[in-house]
Amino acid sequence: MAKVKVASAWLDACGGCHMSFLDLDEALIDLAGKIELTATPITDIKQFPPVDVGIIEGAVSNEHDEQVVKDLRANCKILMVWGDCACFGGIASMRNLFDTDEVLRRYYSTESTARDSKVPSSEDIPPLTKVRPINEVVKVDCYVPGCPPSPKAIHYALAELLQGRIPVVPSEIMRFD
Amino acid sequence: MNEITLTINGRQVKGEEGDTVLEICQANGIDVPTLCHLEGLSDVGACRMCVVEIEKERRPVPACTYPARDGLVVQTNTERLEKYRRQILELIFTEHNHFCMFCEASGDCELQKLAYRYQMDNVRYPYTLPSLAVDAVSDYLVIDHNRCILCGRCIRACSELAASHTLDFSQRGWKTLVTADLEQPLGESSCLVCGACVQACPTGAIFSKLNLYKGKKDDCQQVKTVCPVCGVGCELNVLVKDNNLVRIEALRLAEPKGPLCQMGRFELLCETRPRVTSPLVRGEQGKLEECSLGRAVEVIAHRLAKAKGGFAGMVSTRIPSETLSLFRSFIGEVIGSDSIDTLDGQSYRIIAQGVRQFQGNGRVLDIECPIEEILEADCIIVVGADPGKTNPIVCTLVRRAVSQRKAKLIVIDPSRDVFPLWTDLWLKPRAGSEGDLLNGVAKILIDRGLVEPVSAELIKSFSQYRVGEALRSTGIERGRLELLAEMYGRAEHGVIIYGEGLLQTNGASTITAILNLANMTGNQVGDKLRVISLKPRANSRGAWELGLAKGIKQDKPKGLYLLLADEPESVELLTRLMGIAFLVVQASYHSPVTAMADVVLPSPIWAEREGKYVTMDGRVLELKQVLQPKDGLLQDQEVLMAISQKLGHKLT
Repeated sequence: MAKVKVASAWLDACGGCHMSFLDLDEALIDLAGKIELTATPITDIKQFPPVDVGIIEGAVSNEHDEQVVKDLRANCKILMVWGDCACFGGIASMRNLFDTDEVLRRYYSTESTARDSKVPSSEDIPPLTKVRPINEVVKVDCYVPGCPPSPKAIHYALAELLQGRIPVVPSEIMRFD
Repeated sequence: MNEITLTINGRQVKGEEGDTVLEICQANGIDVPTLCHLEGLSDVGACRMCVVEIEKERRPVPACTYPARDGLVVQTNTERLEKYRRQILELIFTEHNHFCMFCEASGDCELQKLAYRYQMDNVRYPYTLPSLAVDAVSDYLVIDHNRCILCGRCIRACSELAASHTLDFSQRGWKTLVTADLEQPLGESSCLVCGACVQACPTGAIFSKLNLYKGKKDDCQQVKTVCPVCGVGCELNVLVKDNNLVRIEALRLAEPKGPLCQMGRFELLCETRPRVTSPLVRGEQGKLEECSLGRAVEVIAHRLAKAKGGFAGMVSTRIPSETLSLFRSFIGEVIGSDSIDTLDGQSYRIIAQGVRQFQGNGRVLDIECPIEEILEADCIIVVGADPGKTNPIVCTLVRRAVSQRKAKLIVIDPSRDVFPLWTDLWLKPRAGSEGDLLNGVAKILIDRGLVEPVSAELIKSFSQYRVGEALRSTGIERGRLELLAEMYGRAEHGVIIYGEGLLQTNGASTITAILNLANMTGNQVGDKLRVISLKPRANSRGAWELGLAKGIKQDKPKGLYLLLADEPESVELLTRLMGIAFLVVQASYHSPVTAMADVVLPSPIWAEREGKYVTMDGRVLELKQVLQPKDGLLQDQEVLMAISQKLGHKLT
């Protein structure tokens, strides 16, 4: 049987969801025989190759994130999102409580250790937008909430997909924290 | 009540007329999810989680507010209802900040549990997420409006259970907020810090700083016990993790004593006094030095032998009856003294004298009614008492009677109105003339024929009495005295509450006057009068019934064995101890009292002890051991027995 092609992306989030995926430990060995990871946050591939399953960790919080999400959505058959940031907005969306300029000013000048620091600006830096969960930008097929999702929940979701079913995390293993 | 029959999910179930559909579902084990419903509170149908389908109703209705009728056909778990419920959850989640990962309540949250149940892995609506204030001004309580789902449970607990009426909704619609008084911070409001709102809150919107991140309910051991502070006897559920106190809750929030009070719910968790961990004796330098229990006992034995009598024993009434009764034997048999008292023994002696003047020798404490009688009252007289300070739950019950039953509230106090904003009438007699005031009232009632014929003899005893005497000694106008007489005399359930304020001048005769007044107006339930004396400590009544409040004969005994346990010291106590030649203090904490002692022995705190308490209205409750004693500390009984053994006595 051909391996299932998977690509994953890391947007506005802490990376904990991917860490939780690595915490699958020995289950990863079995999984490696069934899936092929074509792009991950550490491959730094700018353009997603067409895959069966796209995975996103993190919320959409700038124009670049938005582009990544749309690109992955266009190149995958099933889009799965991991973690509370991607499912609901989570910690990342706390920024929505404040004005964007105020957040930047606070980050770069009031709390920074560097003296005379300015908010960096360049046309290469994508401007911040409102922080949104993925389903506010593109259609999402399945969700694995959690902060981070437990390895058990991630494993459940992947196993279901490999069985050809769209997973809905059961109540017993669903966690938001 | 008429029995009715309903069909719920195709099953025939029975209930009573007046039940709601939800009550019948719950009584029959039919699971209906709820969020704004809480047992003991009125239902408002705010959250819509409990929607059910009822035949012939055009749309789903909330089960919690729908009155059940005979023959109703109800569905509780159709696909449509489950869809609606999930949709409601999504709407709640988009309204405010309900991200669990940085919420104190995560793991204990009812909203979170429902979201799991409905597998809510995403929401389909845009978030509104307004930035709302967090009110952390209060010493113990925090309101985070961002976590609030506006279910109103805190508001209903505050008004219906605690009868404080501090919390309410402010603003309307989109901008609705739970607020204290007129948008005051909670810590600067009329809040009484009972914490009923904390226990009622289903999310992390109202919580206590003291419980923060100490542990989730599921990770804790839960111990059912009784509050060790005052004589009311509120039943507690204490949460413990790794031998640490995590949280104190009411065992049953909906019961009259359920709201608890600041002392029981919070202050017990704030102990900062240093513990006595080892026996200490005063060394040659005059300093207290650590020693073995054996050495401490030797010192005690030596002084006892030298003094040849003249010792006395004194004990805190926060200690359970079993230990108290052992202490009585210890003082009697081992120390060989019949001089024994409790720290609050003077109160008992005055009450006993007052009761004896009323009815000769007989039952002393048994004459009073249960405190729940306050809830039935339509007139309450509070005389010489400040229940807000000594027994706050009594205050709660009084406020409930006033706000829910429109009871008239009369305060008789020379210096202050102990129920500001709540009293109908505040009389300020000269200090010590409270008894005259009540006798004046009795005379007015007799003159107006507002007394029961049952007490003919008592009424006769007033024939020579003139109301003018009462007016002169109290300094109160006749009109106001008559007003009081009318309120109390015309009441069907008049309750009189008195407290330690009376235990000074003329205390006993005032108590007699109270009992006379209650008796002649027929304010009786069964064989008990509607009179309540506030007892200051958890086991005051238990100790008094055991005969421990005999009193110490000498003004300054040659030696005193004081079993203080975790009772806080008072100026009064320190004054009494001054000039006693030899002082043994068995205490949980270092304090000015232990600093005066010649021998200090360790004692467990309330949470490390167990035994029986007798509440102020005579119920026997079980204090359970919540924590393992610190560093293998001995129980009070073990210390007493060790001393006895050394002195050649066997205590049982």
